[in-house]
Amino acid sequence: VIDLCAITTAPAPEAAGLRAIEADGLAALGAPAVEREASVDQLWQREQLLERLMRDCDLLPVRWGTVVEDDEVERLLASRRAELVHALDRVRGAVEIAVRVATDEQAVTSTAQLYLHVKRRLAEIHAALAALSRESAEIAAGRSAYLVAREDVDSFVSTVAALEEAHDDLSILCTGPWPPYSFVGT
Amino acid sequence: MNDKVLHTPRDLNLFAGDQPHLDGPFPSRVEANPENVERGLAQLVLTIVELLRQIMERQALRRIDGGGLSPEQVERLGRTFMELDKRMAELRSQFGLDEDDLNLNLGPLGDLL
Repeated sequence: VIDLCAITTAPAPEAAGLRAIEADGLAALGAPAVEREASVDQLWQREQLLERLMRDCDLLPVRWGTVVEDDEVERLLASRRAELVHALDRVRGAVEIAVRVATDEQAVTSTAQLYLHVKRRLAEIHAALAALSRESAEIAAGRSAYLVAREDVDSFVSTVAALEEAHDDLSILCTGPWPPYSFVGT
Repeated sequence: MNDKVLHTPRDLNLFAGDQPHLDGPFPSRVEANPENVERGLAQLVLTIVELLRQIMERQALRRIDGGGLSPEQVERLGRTFMELDKRMAELRSQFGLDEDDLNLNLGPLGDLL
């Protein structure tokens, strides 16, 4: 029984403690499954593992807790090959950057003018950053994820800094690079 | 974790209220048992209401940008959407729902919101 962590293009990079199962140009990476509760530490370890792998390849992160019988893995890769290849093409050479825009909550809900002003700024900032990325996803108000080509990350971050500079009532937090969590869903 | 910050915001405190939470690591489903059916239904209804609210808000911003509205009308629109936003937050917390919960994955079409 194997606990899957990522799908990538074969050949998969070597990683300590991970087994790669390859089939027809795709590779599934995972470790022998053990019973465990999800904890912040465990998830952070998984995150660091994925980030190490991402230095050497493009990958699809697999949902935490995806446990599959060993002999099922190859069948899974084969039966969903087209879908997985398409998903890998989508994220190839790109990483996820998370952006949070915040403002003083009290101020926003104090007057209608200010409320509209902030909503408009949020939309403008999102549009400016979306233009620099391959894909974007609005997760909640003021919380977005962007799929950015690796070589464009630096200019993306300087744009974030410039946008914050231009709006002195807003704060912008930008984190990453992350595995493309928000861009692997069907 | 600090090495993941690419741009440090002007005021980091604005983000400090967000606690990491693991209470709902898996996608929530509408669960149809007697204890959950109310929350499931509320989630579904609030999702639709939130969709309409966002569409109307975007439309309103476009109309304001287009000009032709008096300052009083702009004020009224802004106040309406501000109040709707507050009410939605209240309803969400009443049913223990996050902003992320008010979204539907539409398969190949992506997320609803």
